[in-house]
Amino acid sequence: MVSQRLKVSTDLRSFMPAPTTPDQRLLMEQVGDGPGSRLLLLAISRSCPAPALPAPAGLALPAQRASCARGTEPSMAGAGQSDTQLAALSQGLVGALHNDKRYSQVLNGSFDLGALPSGLLPYRYLLSTTLDMQPLDEPYLADQLQQRLDDLSSPAASLLKGLLPRDPTLEVLKLAERWTPARSPEVRDGVWFSPQNEALLLVQTTAAGFDPDAQQQAIDGIQHAFNALPGHAGAKLEFSGPGYFSVVVGAQTRHQADWIGRISSVGFIVLLLLAYRSLSSLLLSALPIASAALAGIAALTVVFSEVHGITLAFGFTLLGVAQEYPIRVLSHRRAGEDAVQSVRALWPLLLTAIASACIAYLAFYASGVNGLKQLAVFTIVGLLVAGFSTRYLLSRLLPGRVRDVADMRWLAKARDLVDRLPRPRWIPVVVAFAIILMLAVAPGPFWQNNLAALTPLPQDMLLRDARLREALGAPDVRYLLVLQASTEQGVLALSEQLQPKVDALVAQHAVDALELPSRYLPTIALQQARQQKLPDRAALQRELTQALQGLPFRADLFQPFLNDVETARQLPPLTPERYAQTPLGQRLAAMLMQRDGHWLGLGTVSGVHDVAALQALGADSGGNVRLLDLKAASESLVAAYRTRILQALLVASVLLVLTITFALRSLRRAWHVLAPMTLATFLVLAVERMAGIEISLFHLVALILAGGLGLHYALFFERDTGDPAEQRRTLHATIVCVLSALLVFGMLAWATIPVLRAIGLTVSLGVAFHFCLSILMAPHTHASED
Amino acid sequence: MQVLDRPLVVSGELAWLGGDKLQRHVEHPNDETATIADGEVTQQRAGKSPRHFSLSRAPQLQVLLDSFVALLSGDAGRLQQAFEIRQAGDPAAAWTLTLVPRDAKVAKTVTSIVIDGDGKTSRCMRMQEADGDLAIDLLGPLAAKMPAQPTREALLALCQGAH
Repeated sequence: MVSQRLKVSTDLRSFMPAPTTPDQRLLMEQVGDGPGSRLLLLAISRSCPAPALPAPAGLALPAQRASCARGTEPSMAGAGQSDTQLAALSQGLVGALHNDKRYSQVLNGSFDLGALPSGLLPYRYLLSTTLDMQPLDEPYLADQLQQRLDDLSSPAASLLKGLLPRDPTLEVLKLAERWTPARSPEVRDGVWFSPQNEALLLVQTTAAGFDPDAQQQAIDGIQHAFNALPGHAGAKLEFSGPGYFSVVVGAQTRHQADWIGRISSVGFIVLLLLAYRSLSSLLLSALPIASAALAGIAALTVVFSEVHGITLAFGFTLLGVAQEYPIRVLSHRRAGEDAVQSVRALWPLLLTAIASACIAYLAFYASGVNGLKQLAVFTIVGLLVAGFSTRYLLSRLLPGRVRDVADMRWLAKARDLVDRLPRPRWIPVVVAFAIILMLAVAPGPFWQNNLAALTPLPQDMLLRDARLREALGAPDVRYLLVLQASTEQGVLALSEQLQPKVDALVAQHAVDALELPSRYLPTIALQQARQQKLPDRAALQRELTQALQGLPFRADLFQPFLNDVETARQLPPLTPERYAQTPLGQRLAAMLMQRDGHWLGLGTVSGVHDVAALQALGADSGGNVRLLDLKAASESLVAAYRTRILQALLVASVLLVLTITFALRSLRRAWHVLAPMTLATFLVLAVERMAGIEISLFHLVALILAGGLGLHYALFFERDTGDPAEQRRTLHATIVCVLSALLVFGMLAWATIPVLRAIGLTVSLGVAFHFCLSILMAPHTHASED
Repeated sequence: MQVLDRPLVVSGELAWLGGDKLQRHVEHPNDETATIADGEVTQQRAGKSPRHFSLSRAPQLQVLLDSFVALLSGDAGRLQQAFEIRQAGDPAAAWTLTLVPRDAKVAKTVTSIVIDGDGKTSRCMRMQEADGDLAIDLLGPLAAKMPAQPTREALLALCQGAH
C-alpha cells in the first residue's frame, strides 16, 4: 500500500527555501518554469566514425581526420557536403518534434512558414505591424506587386510562388522574421550553424527545467527522434541548457551515491560481524532501521501528497543515527543476561537520546521549507519507531545466549588506555579559544549563498553551454524583465508601450536582445485598430484592380488574398487562450502568468552589457516594470532561509539543554554531555572554514546529524556506573558506532559531487571530534577515583 | 503560366566569380543583384535592405549554379554528380545538352535544364520548372535578339535557331 501511494517528486524546488518577497516567489517559478529554464540547446555535429569508403590515397586520411577533430574545412566541396547532411538532420529533427506535445517550440533557423497554423492564417493581418504604417491601398499594393514580379524573375521565385495568391504582401514572411530570435547564428543550407560547424537548434520543453524526470523524457524523445532519422549514424547530437543539466546532475549524484552506498554497506556488515561474531545479531540489528524506514515512508504518504526524492535520500542518511540503538543493545548485553532486562536498563538513556534527536529535527520542521518539513516528519517518525522497536521487538527476538563483549582482551587494553588519558580541565577553554581563532582568520566568505555551487557542472559542459548560448543568442538565465498589470491585456499593453524604449536600448548595445510578450501577440485593442484599417471586399477589389494595371498577373490570381482579408475583418481578436493551441501560443504562455491577483509578463534578456540602463526601463513605472536579477533573488532567498534555520536551531538548542538537564536531573551532568557536543560542533565548523569551505545548507544539515551522534557518545560516556566491565561495554559500543559512521560518511567524503562531499566530510569530522572530546571531557576518571 | 498571363522579361549579366560564387545582375526592368556564396543567396535591390535566404530554398538557383559553374570550369565530374546528362547533335556545330537534376528535392521544382549551343558557345539555357513554367535565358549575342513580346515558340525557335 505504501509503495503504491508514495508519489516521489524530483522537482528540486520543493527543497529550496520558501519565498517571501514577490521577486523570490517569481524566482521559484522561474527557476523551473521560466522560458529561459525550459530551453534546451542542441548541437548536431559530424562524429568521426571510421571512413565508410576506403581512403583512396594516404593524403586524404589525415585531412579527413583533421577536419573531424577541429571542424576545419578540408575543401569547399567536402565542407558543403557535410553541412548539407547536418542541415538535413536539423530539418528532419524539427519535422519529427514539430507536433510533439512535449515541446512548445522547436527552432533551427529555417523560415517557419508553418508558424501560424493554416486555421489562424487570416490573423496575420492583425498580428503583423504592416497596417500600423500602411493601409492596403492602391499605391502600396502596386509597389508590393511590382516587387513580387521582381521576385518571380529572381532566384527567390520558388520560395514565394506558392504564397503569392494568398499573401501578396508577404505578411507570413514578415511574421516569421519577427518571430525568429533577434540575434541569430549564421544560416547555412537554411539552418543555423555555429562557427564550429555544428547545426544548432533551440527546443523549448513543456516541462519545467528543474524537473529532472520530465526533462529526461524530453531529452530521450529528442534523442529517439534523432536516432530514427536517416543518416544520423555519421553525426552526433549534443545537449545543453538547464533541463539537461538537472538530468546530468541527478544521474551523477545517484550514480555516486549508489556505488558509495554499496561499498559502505559491505564494510558495515563486515564491521558488525567482527564486533559481535554472530550472524543472527547482525540480521536482527537491521530490524529497527528497516521498521523506521517503513514507518517514515508511511508517515510521509499520509501527511504529504507528494514526497521529494531528496527527502528519501537525506532521510535514510539521517536515520543512520538509529543504527546506534541496536549496537548499544548488543554491546551492553552481559553474558547470560536476559535481553529484555538489558534493554530496560539502557532505555532511559536511549530515550533521552531519541527525544533529543527528535527535538533537533523539529527545527527542520519549523524551517518552513516543504522538503525539510518532509525530512523532519520522516526522521522523527523513523527514530521513534526505531527506538520503540529496539525496546519492545528486538529485545524479545535476540538470541538467549551471547558473548559478553566486556571479556574481549583488546577492549580491556583500550579501556585502560582511555582511562589513562590526561583530562585537564582547561581542554574546553583551549578548544573554544582555537575555534574562535580559526573562525576569525578563516579565508573567504562564511556562507555559501549560491545554490548552483552545490551542484556544479563539469567545466567543459559549462563552456559548451556558454558557447552555444552565445552562438544562438539564447536568453540569459540570470535576468528577466518583469511587467506587471492587473489584467493580461494590461501586461500586453505595457509590453507594447515599452517596445520603442527596448528597441532604443538594443540600438545602444545596452543589451543584445530583449524579447517582450507583445512580440508574439498584440493587445486586443491594437488588433481591433488594425482590423478597422482593413478595407472591405469591394474596396480592396477596387484598389487591387487598379494596382494590377499594367502588371502581367492573372486577373483572378488573388482571390485567396481577398478572402483572407475579408475573413480577417470579422475575426474575434486573438487572445492568449485561443492562441495557446499553437506552438507560438505555448511560447507566449510561458511569458504570461497570473500571480496574487495580478498578471505578470516576462521579457527574456540576452547579452546584458549595461545593467543600469535596463534597470532604468522601470524608473517611472511605479514598480510595474522591473529588472529581476535571478541570481541576487536566489541569494537573498538562501540567506533568508538560513536565518530561519539558524533561529529554529537556536530554539532547538534551548529545548535540548532543558531536555538533557531534566533527564539527567543535574546541571553538572548536563554540562558534561552538552559541552563536548557543542564544542565538537563548532570545531567542525572552524576546521571546515579554515580549509576554505563556505558553509551551505547541506553543511548545516550534516552538522545536526553529527550533533545527534555526538550526543549519544557524550551521554553514554557520561553515564556514571562505577562498573569497569560496563565502562568497557560502553567503549565497545561507541567504537562500533564511530567506526560505522566513519565508514559510511567517510566514503561519502570522497565523492566528487559537492553535496555528497559536504555531508560526508562534515559528519566524518563531526564523529571524530565528538568522540575525542566526549572522551577527553568525560568525568569518568574522577568518578572511578571518588 | 501559373501566376502570370504574359511572360516576364529581364536582362542583365550572369557572372561566375570563381569557386561556388555566382552573381546575377539584372539591369532591366529593375536593378537587382543576387549573389550566391557559401550556400546562401543575397538579394539586393535599390533602396531596399538586402534579403538573405538559403540556397536550398531556391532550387532553380542551385541548378543554375551547378550547371553554370560546371560548364564554365569544364568540370565534367561535377556536372555528372548533379545531373543525368543527355547529349544530342554535333559537338562541333549545333548541339543540345539536357540536364536532369539527380537530387529528388531539386527535381520537385526543376524538371530539367536544356542548353543549346553552337560549337564552343552556349546560345541559350531553358529551365523547365515542375509546375509547367519555363524560364529561357538567351545568352551572349543572342540576348540582344530578345523580342519585346516574346512567346514560348518564338524563343524556342531562337534557341534552336538557324545559323
